[in-house]
Amino acid sequence: MSTREIFDSRIESGLLLLPTLLVTVVFLYYPTALAFRTSFFDSSFGRAEVFVGLENYVELLTSSGYHQSIIISVVFAAVVVVGVVVVSLYLTFLIHEVDTGQGLYLISVIWPYALPPAVGALVFLFITHPTLGVLTGPIESLGVEVDWFNNGSQAFVVVALAAIWKQIGYNVIFMIAAMNNVPDTLTETAELDGVGGLRRLVSVYIPIMTPTIFFLVIINTIYAFFGTFAFVDLLTSGGPSNATNILIFNLYQEGFSFFNFGIASAKSVVLFVIVGVLMFVQFQITDKYSYYGG
Amino acid sequence: MVGVLQYAKQRVDALRGNYETQRIHEDDLGTHFQLLLLVVAVVFPIAVALAVSTKQSGVVTSVVDLLPGGYAVENYREVLVDYQFGRFMWNSLAMSVVIVVGKLIISVFAAMAIVYYRVPYKDLVFLFILFTLLLPVPVRFIPLFQLMNDLGWSNTILAITVPYLASATTVFILRQHFLSIPTSIVETAKLDGVGPLKFMLFVLLPMSKGVLVGVSIIMFVYAWNQYLWPLIIIDSEANQVAQVGLQLLQGDVQGGQLSWSLVMAGSTLTLLPPLLLMIVFRKPLLETFSIQQK
Amino acid sequence: MTTVTLHNLRKEFDDVVAVNGIDLEIVDGEFLVIVGPSGCGKSTTLRLLAGLEDATDGEIVMDGRDVTAVEPKDRNVAMVFQNYALYPHMTGRRNITFGMKSSGDFTDEEIDRRVEEAAETLDIADLLDRKPQAMSGGERQRVALGRAIVRDPDAFLMDEPLSNLDAKLRIQMRAELAQLHTSLGTTTVYVTHDQTEAMTLGERVVVMNDGRIMQVDEPQTLYDFPANRFVAEFIGDPAMNMLPVDIENGTAVHDAFTIQLPNADGGVRNGAKESGDASIRDGQRAVLGVRPEDLYMATDRPNTGDETLNATVNVTEPLGDSLLLHCSIGETPCKIQAKARSEIRPDDTVSIAYDPARLHLFDPESGDALYHSESYASSESAAAAADHG
Repeated sequence: MSTREIFDSRIESGLLLLPTLLVTVVFLYYPTALAFRTSFFDSSFGRAEVFVGLENYVELLTSSGYHQSIIISVVFAAVVVVGVVVVSLYLTFLIHEVDTGQGLYLISVIWPYALPPAVGALVFLFITHPTLGVLTGPIESLGVEVDWFNNGSQAFVVVALAAIWKQIGYNVIFMIAAMNNVPDTLTETAELDGVGGLRRLVSVYIPIMTPTIFFLVIINTIYAFFGTFAFVDLLTSGGPSNATNILIFNLYQEGFSFFNFGIASAKSVVLFVIVGVLMFVQFQITDKYSYYGG
Repeated sequence: MVGVLQYAKQRVDALRGNYETQRIHEDDLGTHFQLLLLVVAVVFPIAVALAVSTKQSGVVTSVVDLLPGGYAVENYREVLVDYQFGRFMWNSLAMSVVIVVGKLIISVFAAMAIVYYRVPYKDLVFLFILFTLLLPVPVRFIPLFQLMNDLGWSNTILAITVPYLASATTVFILRQHFLSIPTSIVETAKLDGVGPLKFMLFVLLPMSKGVLVGVSIIMFVYAWNQYLWPLIIIDSEANQVAQVGLQLLQGDVQGGQLSWSLVMAGSTLTLLPPLLLMIVFRKPLLETFSIQQK
Repeated sequence: MTTVTLHNLRKEFDDVVAVNGIDLEIVDGEFLVIVGPSGCGKSTTLRLLAGLEDATDGEIVMDGRDVTAVEPKDRNVAMVFQNYALYPHMTGRRNITFGMKSSGDFTDEEIDRRVEEAAETLDIADLLDRKPQAMSGGERQRVALGRAIVRDPDAFLMDEPLSNLDAKLRIQMRAELAQLHTSLGTTTVYVTHDQTEAMTLGERVVVMNDGRIMQVDEPQTLYDFPANRFVAEFIGDPAMNMLPVDIENGTAVHDAFTIQLPNADGGVRNGAKESGDASIRDGQRAVLGVRPEDLYMATDRPNTGDETLNATVNVTEPLGDSLLLHCSIGETPCKIQAKARSEIRPDDTVSIAYDPARLHLFDPESGDALYHSESYASSESAAAAADHG
């Protein structure tokens, strides 16, 4: 029954916690509460707020533009999450399998963790630019006309690819740790049983790595919803014809193009609910799989 | 083809009785080949950016155009001075350092109170801090914007640093690490009558060097890569950060007033600080990530 | 110097009672070992002594001063932990001096002098400038001991200090600890789960179970006169055999044998304490305790003339210096330490003799000792037993 709680001064502990609590309350909880409040008002710059009850929410419920944004966000998140997890898993497996050059391979695939999304967006804009892009020629030689400034589906693909690219690093970091944690004896048993290559990945490693993969799925979903703002803003500004107008960009426009703070606040509340649900799911799953020792 | 070569090599090695070599060179060349391909794919966009940043114009029409050009010094000078990237980078650095140092200090305080003090309700306080994971910037930037206007902090470094100082993730990682320090060491300090300040400075912090470096890198990358919030709250170029500086470049290049080579130079500059830190401190960084997931 | 007294000491964690009202007197300068299975409360008792836990009830008195509520640093005790608890970022010297400097009770010259002394005593002079990761386990434990002795505490509290060392080093350090205690003479309380360690190190040994003290005695007394079944089975390896019997006319009657209890005619008494109140009656049920080393092949000792009993051998384990037999006597499992190189195989039926001076009876319900035959046995048998050992 040993203990780390070797101090007991309430004043000291209070002082130690004060800065974090102060910032937390003033800049995290209070604005959130403010968003809830404003979501019931008609609010904008330089005008008096008017209480409108649930009107903002009713507008969201009936706005086809907002519904479209939700659908785009969900599809976008699905594409990004699946893309990131599959590519990262395969990369991690390849790195896990080699002995020579492992460190070098690892750093050359995890570096995008440090990549600023804005940089990633501009570089992608350049290499896939419909007229100037380095990749445009090779792609068009395959018979596809690169026209994502006007073609919504192509724009969606470009943004998704850029978003996947940036997130690979973060995923491999966690996956390689999880894969290295698989006991060598299991790998050797699989080899003795003649389970080689990809089948070992699918039937031995992935089941053991399940907690890590679930964790990453949630993190990647949150990333796809919120962390990809810079890609959308710099590559497509939500266009063409709202084809890449995911919720976070939609919210930004509502607030800072149209200055409808009331409706924007209602949209913030919707995002809050989405984050809440994702976090809740993650807690449930973490609990369920905790016996894996992940 | 690769398989044949490898098989031949194995046979030769076996004939020479060179089993040791055979075991070491067990790596499948096919695996290396796939890895190289994927690494090229992951690095390619940035390699292009780097190459183009040294050329006179950004027009790439053939593979030869991807060789480094002779305009590196001139381009980078132009971006840094004429396009104010020196200023932006400096602002980004100031913001990131303030966030890292501030966050580190107040998070160490909070984690210390949570782990080493026997006081009532501290589990509740920890939950209260953890709960802010539900409140990322995208959920509250609308009300935060209003709050900054009320405080008169718009357009200042306060606005882009102070709201980031409280960090559930950092407190969580530090707490996990503190919990991994053997109880007997903590109790020895208690038996010796070591006070809280001395305990923190001479026991806790020296035993946490790796984690402190690791979370510092995580926080720096996070702070440096912020895009949405500075975009909203900073509107004078003198106070702008590098990420949003890229957006200004993008506007110019889309308008045809700017060469792509300068945009790529700006992108490269913006990428360098977090990338270098990550590469240099990758070991403590990876170790810290492995704490985070627990 | 330092006498420590525990009065009705009690410690509860939520609804678990770790230490259940113990009384104990620790004599000045003695080496006292507390031994027991994990969870018996031995470590908690030590931590209560150190002040790392607050007692739920009862008191701790050191040299007449009630220290129950006194802060650890003001008790002037030094603790040595199982995992050494060295600060990994500090050199050996800094590890030793860090606590002293914190207390502010010592001048720098004094600290230097004491470190030199301690280094010489423990032969760790060359470890002072190394960090713990550059030391072996044994070296770390020496530095941890150095940190303890340098403050010249009133008492050493040691929590399984040798458990992390490998077997060979453990035996060596055991001897060194004993030697250190002889030269310093400081009151030492030493906690271990290892009965061998307890027997070899302790001047007195406290056996604990379930938060209570089972017996406090010198090691040989614990072995010869266990106060109850728990102590009997915990002390000694392999553990004492326990056979259910009925008492009839001074004999112990088992399904498979009958044994005459020496001097039991006039009512058998507890030999150890001569208390007389734990007597046994005819017709009572009891548990007969006899150690594996006090049983032997009748053929090896033809002249003792003791009654013999038959046992069926199930498994044989050659230990080198002896042959351990796992047998059944009737339905009861039983271990016998036979001579090495005996030609005995599983399924053999063997004739077993016993040492009449080494029989114990326990109450089947309470487990309290009812009778130890040694107090009554003839000196001839005792001599024979010594010969056998």
